Amino acid sequence: MSVGTDRPSQSGPEPEPESEPESEPESGSGRGTELSSDPLRDPRGRVGVITKGSLVEGLEMKLDAQRNVEDMKAGKFVVIEGDKNDFFSMVTDMRLDATNGEILLHPPDRSDELLRQILAGTGTYNIVSLRPMLMMPKSGVAGFDDGPRPVKAIPSHFSVVQDAEEEDVSRIFGSEGEGDGRYFSIGSPLDMETPVCIDMVRFAERSNGIFGKTGTGKSFLTRLALCGLIHYDRAVNLIFDMHNEYGWKAMKETSGSNSSFVKGLKQLFGERVAIFSLDPKSTRTRGIQPDHEVYISYDQIAVEDIAPLQDELKLNPTAVESAYLVYAIYKDSWLRTLLSLEGPDVEEFANEIGAHPGSLVALHRKLKRLENFPFMVKKGQAEAGDCVDRIMEHLDAGVNVVLEFGQQTSMLCYLLVANIIARRIHEMYVKKSEKFYATQKPEDQPRQLMITIEEAHKFLNPSAAKQTIFGTIAREMRKYYVSLLVVDQRPSGIDDEVLSQLGTRITALLNDEKDIAAVLTGVSGTDGLRSVLASLDSKQQALVLGHAVPMPVVVRTREYGEEFYRFLGAGDEDPQVRSARVQKERVALFGE
Amino acid sequence: MNQPLGTRSLDSFRDPLRRASVDVSIDVDEGAAASAHVGEVIESSTAQWVAESVRLNGAPAFGQFVRVETEPLPILGVVHNTRTQSLEANRRPSAYGKSEEELRLEQPQIFELLRTHFDVFVLGYLDGTHPVLAYPPQPARIHSFVHVCSSEQTRAVTASEQLLRSLLEAPGLPTDELLLATLSHALDAREPALRQAYVLRTGKELSRLLRDDYDRLSALVGRLKDRMNLKDSQ
Repeated sequence: MSVGTDRPSQSGPEPEPESEPESEPESGSGRGTELSSDPLRDPRGRVGVITKGSLVEGLEMKLDAQRNVEDMKAGKFVVIEGDKNDFFSMVTDMRLDATNGEILLHPPDRSDELLRQILAGTGTYNIVSLRPMLMMPKSGVAGFDDGPRPVKAIPSHFSVVQDAEEEDVSRIFGSEGEGDGRYFSIGSPLDMETPVCIDMVRFAERSNGIFGKTGTGKSFLTRLALCGLIHYDRAVNLIFDMHNEYGWKAMKETSGSNSSFVKGLKQLFGERVAIFSLDPKSTRTRGIQPDHEVYISYDQIAVEDIAPLQDELKLNPTAVESAYLVYAIYKDSWLRTLLSLEGPDVEEFANEIGAHPGSLVALHRKLKRLENFPFMVKKGQAEAGDCVDRIMEHLDAGVNVVLEFGQQTSMLCYLLVANIIARRIHEMYVKKSEKFYATQKPEDQPRQLMITIEEAHKFLNPSAAKQTIFGTIAREMRKYYVSLLVVDQRPSGIDDEVLSQLGTRITALLNDEKDIAAVLTGVSGTDGLRSVLASLDSKQQALVLGHAVPMPVVVRTREYGEEFYRFLGAGDEDPQVRSARVQKERVALFGE
Repeated sequence: MNQPLGTRSLDSFRDPLRRASVDVSIDVDEGAAASAHVGEVIESSTAQWVAESVRLNGAPAFGQFVRVETEPLPILGVVHNTRTQSLEANRRPSAYGKSEEELRLEQPQIFELLRTHFDVFVLGYLDGTHPVLAYPPQPARIHSFVHVCSSEQTRAVTASEQLLRSLLEAPGLPTDELLLATLSHALDAREPALRQAYVLRTGKELSRLLRDDYDRLSALVGRLKDRMNLKDSQ
């Protein structure tokens, strides 16, 4: 870039602290515009001018000399003022540059502050790369009322770039509570206080992903998203809570030793959340009374539930075929029948049903591991009917279900249970949807269901995605009113086909190139976003992109604390109010 | 005027701080200097003029802004060369081996045979009170009186971005020396509190103009900083 191109910008906003009470006559050389650098006269805060770029590769801005390049953080939000449109853009990269190589070979001495100041913006300058995300016609231009739209044009040379204002953010992302409670604030842009809102209706109607390295706040982001869904009642949730983080309180990871606890969904939403536990003992040890205990009978396990466990159980392909042979004869009781056999009988049994003895023996041996799970019961032992039916009843009634795994945290257990339950629930939803399609009565319309799964790459890796029910849900999406909330730290392990169908992605810091590429699968114009993703803070920062937000945005995530609890109507009670309530309830229970 | 400038020693004029020892009247009584003329034009063209100083050795300092009241518009210029020589071209002064005071007592007539001339580079003209940095429509008339610019006029001229460009592009002038001297006058014309900002702005302008010559820029900025520090310490 030659200085020649810069000149128009220079004549304008030179830092002009020289506030000489210039009775100095106008020299007639265009210095009249100089005052535009005065922050009072230019409330938006000019940061620079556009010098070059393209629609495909993004734009380059020359930073004004008085702006510190260190303030231009990746992910920052700026507005380019074109002639007809405002372009809402994100800072994706910065570069230091000089007009003359000599300057770089003989940099000014550290003590030579004057020369450094003189060179700033003239001989040495900063280039900031911008990625326009949305364009908004200016008032008075046709289409102003239509709101933001995708970028199909670029601003002309030397268009002024301004800091984004609070108004701009709310104009794009909506304000919390607006539009019939569809906007839920998830945080605020970097260096700003305005809330960035997610459109919860759009969020619920597709599968979504929450990604990030371990320890970057995935669980907090997930909890926030779930709170939004539940608070605005946009979808009923089924949460496979592998690490027991969502139902009741969870530990907040803080540096140092003084860890604190945050509230779980049950505490925030009370009756609207039910905790199911696979390991009631562990749940009680943590001081929580589960609403229901979950038992699974052998008859509830289908061959389809075993197939995805091939990796965990180290089954070979013929084992699954053998299982189908057993199933062909014994139907639902196939697993119970198989496991009831003892060692030598298995070969005989294999010969009877015409299966390969070696293969069936191996299958038998490996499935024996299932007997170790305390929640596996023989038929009839399951108390008060089928737990999946119970979960379904809750979901039908709009009660969100958190399924805690307690100490049963082995991947095998998690995969097995999640598969069994999700498959059956999906089946029921398919039936309900079909009924709704047939009757078309509004009361038959199933509630939107969102299933939250952690360690999603285990279900959705390229080989498993074709076999597990989660692969199907992710692909079929909204047809049957079931969608997924995929929580994972290794998105590169997830099948591309599934990733490309994810509607909204909320991504905390990722470092691995493969993971970053995976998160951005199916998103156009991602070059700039890569650098943004890799430079997020390791805490409380996330990039949100996709269906539920009009443009990708980096947010400082909303504080999950007292204020948020109060917003959800579940803040700590005033001790006086509480004691009055306790007194009242005691009277109601036991009389005066 | 036609002499090569490099051959003449400009030492005594190079630093305007030292001009007090040359001629006190201009600085001590600026009001009087502004009203009284310091010279008279004796040779004139569009780009330059030559003036004869009213007093021997009493020319305005090197780099000083001067103005000539002439028709149709007053013309602005900057002093870039001063010389004192014999009135008759074919009679050179010769050395006497005596101090100036002794000579004034013994041979006062020889000083009557000497004249001080100064060369002025035309910067522009005054349109009302506005300095316009472009060549004037007509050159200064012979025998017009030359005045030293007031502080206000100096500020106005030196606030223009065109000034540096004009000086840098002027042919046959000791550009860097002249630049420093004029900026030094510009600083004198400003309040101490405003000098830093002025130097910074001028430096940025220079940096743009000298973008291909970083060495020259850094040398100029270094010297400019020294001058400013000197003024600040006074």
